[in-house]
Amino acid sequence: MRTLLIAFAATVTLAAQGAAPQVTPQDLLDGLKDPGKWLTYGGDYSGTRHSPLTQISPENVGQLAAQWTFQTGTLGSFQTTPLVIDGIIYATGFNNHAWAIDARTGRPIWRYRRNLPDDLHVCCGAVNRGFAALGDRLFMTTIDAHLVSLDMKTGGVLWDVELADFKVGYSATVAPLVVKDKVIVGIAGAEFGIRGFIDAYDAQTGKRAWRFYTVASPDDPIGGRSWPPGGDAWQRGGGSIWVTGTYDPQQNLVFFGTGNPGPDYYSNAREGDNLYTASLVAIDADTGQRRWHYQFTPHDVHDWDSTQVPVLADLTIGGQPRKVVMFANRNGFFYTIDRVTGKVIVARPFVETTWAKEIGPDGRPVLLPGHLPDEEGTKTCPDLGGGTNFMSPSYDPTSHLFFVTARETCATYFAFDQKFKPGEQFESGGTTRPRDQKNFGALRAIDPVTATVKWEFRYPSVSASGVLTTGSGLVFAGDGDGNIMAFDSRSGKNLWHYQLGFAMRSTAGTTYMLDGRQYLLVPSGSMLTAFALPGEQRTQR
Amino acid sequence: MTRARSAGHLLIVFVSLTSAAVLLSAQEPQPPKVSPARNNPHLGNKESIRSGMALYRVRCADCHGLDAKGYRGPDLTALVGDMQDEKLFQTLRKGVPGTEMPGSTAPDDELLLVIAYLRNMNAASAAEPAPTGNVENGQRVFTAQCAGCHRIGMRGGRLGPDLSHIGAARSRSALVREIRTPAEWFPPGYETVTLVTKDGQRVRGTRKNEDAFSIQIMDTRERIQGYLKADLREVLYEKESLMPAFTTARLNDNDLNDLIGYLTTLRGPDSTVR
Repeated sequence: MRTLLIAFAATVTLAAQGAAPQVTPQDLLDGLKDPGKWLTYGGDYSGTRHSPLTQISPENVGQLAAQWTFQTGTLGSFQTTPLVIDGIIYATGFNNHAWAIDARTGRPIWRYRRNLPDDLHVCCGAVNRGFAALGDRLFMTTIDAHLVSLDMKTGGVLWDVELADFKVGYSATVAPLVVKDKVIVGIAGAEFGIRGFIDAYDAQTGKRAWRFYTVASPDDPIGGRSWPPGGDAWQRGGGSIWVTGTYDPQQNLVFFGTGNPGPDYYSNAREGDNLYTASLVAIDADTGQRRWHYQFTPHDVHDWDSTQVPVLADLTIGGQPRKVVMFANRNGFFYTIDRVTGKVIVARPFVETTWAKEIGPDGRPVLLPGHLPDEEGTKTCPDLGGGTNFMSPSYDPTSHLFFVTARETCATYFAFDQKFKPGEQFESGGTTRPRDQKNFGALRAIDPVTATVKWEFRYPSVSASGVLTTGSGLVFAGDGDGNIMAFDSRSGKNLWHYQLGFAMRSTAGTTYMLDGRQYLLVPSGSMLTAFALPGEQRTQR
Repeated sequence: MTRARSAGHLLIVFVSLTSAAVLLSAQEPQPPKVSPARNNPHLGNKESIRSGMALYRVRCADCHGLDAKGYRGPDLTALVGDMQDEKLFQTLRKGVPGTEMPGSTAPDDELLLVIAYLRNMNAASAAEPAPTGNVENGQRVFTAQCAGCHRIGMRGGRLGPDLSHIGAARSRSALVREIRTPAEWFPPGYETVTLVTKDGQRVRGTRKNEDAFSIQIMDTRERIQGYLKADLREVLYEKESLMPAFTTARLNDNDLNDLIGYLTTLRGPDSTVR
């Protein structure tokens, strides 16, 4: 018996040593080519959240039915984009709980629990937006401002490094982005007077490879002059990273949207443009050096983070092929930007905006008067939640449409002076909803060549759901009232809906093939729901 | 990024001098032994009062009005005068049970700034006069004119809001406004809708919930019902309230004064707790 056991153990060890890593850098470059995988936050490096799968189609989506549900049994809501690798789902949840789950049945395999400190400083919930993967490892940021690497097989901790000190307001919710051998993450906490950054860590060792500060120091030749000379406002200048960036392998550039300057509303102590907050930054993936930046909202005073997902695509504009990055911004404008030069090609509002007339030829917004918050209050559209926010958009390269969850809102903004104290909230203002204001939400389809809205589907209330598109011409999105819905991508016609019981936030889920079936996996509340077609409907188009 | 805040979801300084103090001491955990409000460094400090005003405008004014004389919530110039700072701090922190006034998670210092502002305002303001109406006649007016739709305790209709706590939840001016011109503001869940079915039937009621595909209402016969929008020809969102406007022709000033005198006594299920 003992001999047999030794022989068995030796076989297992050999098998483990010989097994190929589950996720290679080439797999990440291949994106969604393998129909059984969803390997990174945006599906692939472009951030389009467009799956080529076609089994679920406009013709049969009405038959889509829930196959299983998974309940976390914890408080708090999902904002995760689950990864799917070889039949296993890897999902992160509230308070940095995380799970490996059988994608066929919804049965959990392992669970990670983090011992979080009691004195966390979190402005917007102890949420997490998902894992990244490389080799047999998973990577997750934590609400106490760490980055952890977990063993994909067991959930065991391989390494755990501190990004910054949570006690003075730093936190992290972003799903990491793996590029080559590096894990790229960003920090949050601008509402507590932090100085934001984007970091890269060695995937094997957890050693930091580079850091890019989203708030320029005085010795920065470009951004240093955008903060008051001689002052220290830049040291608490904000610039959170809430949402995962994207990667252009040809240029070896990563693109990240950066958060609002701090303090959020009262800006007398931070005169200037406040670079590189409320911006899109293009950074060399190997060195962390800035290649270019574009600031959407110079000297933001409305808490309009630009931490939306920068979506990469190749478009034909004016008969010329253009490599672009598309960006639906919290400030209410949609931008198509040349991702080689960082210059705006076209920009127009996609919701009601009252603070700027237009984006000028120099790329700066042409401001309208009367929108600087003060103690008396000024009404501006959109509200602090923005025209859109952290929820992921999607781009369908077949219909050439960009889909985004839009918010039609206005607010009265107040600003007042506030003394900075490390670890305490440092916003210097706030907002109220005007009494006659009726907010609503919509799924909008935007032509990125002209930055015009082609169709919309309205919701009675605002939504924070992401969007997912598929190769069959479907758009999946969630409203603010708990529905997951499917639409025809060209016409906007609603084709299917299902009441989940809790509104989706941040993501519209993932889709993958398993055993010949296409699944749609949707996080909402503390539940994952897997949808598929009934057996007789499963015919490839 | 800041979580979207509206004043309705944040700190609303909504203080009842009489009932809240008793309710809090009876139902809530005891305040800490040394309340931060015992030694409020901001009292009388000009800069602090200015900061407190700004905080008040963001977090409190939506319900209590920019001048703190009450909008939907009570007149604070009348209510905070005799309340000790420790109790006021505890009310801001915990909210007022049974009303729209929520508790706050704001730092202690921000609550102390708001208290400094309210104290300064209280010293400078003339309070709203106390109710003078004949409570007995007011109760008769209520039974005749209001009880068909509004509930107090276990009695009355359910089409309009339950008024069992209304005395702790509204200023006199807010009550007058909501009786004379009820369409000016609809409490959530009481917006007027008319549903037109495919065969042309009209169902009128108050909107309880809605999404893109369905709507849930209480109709004028107090039936709660859900409808699929696909089964409806139209959903009409009306500007008028189901509650009629009680103009002077319908309710003279004396009866209105008496009715308000009665309503201000309504501060919870146990009317002896005042």
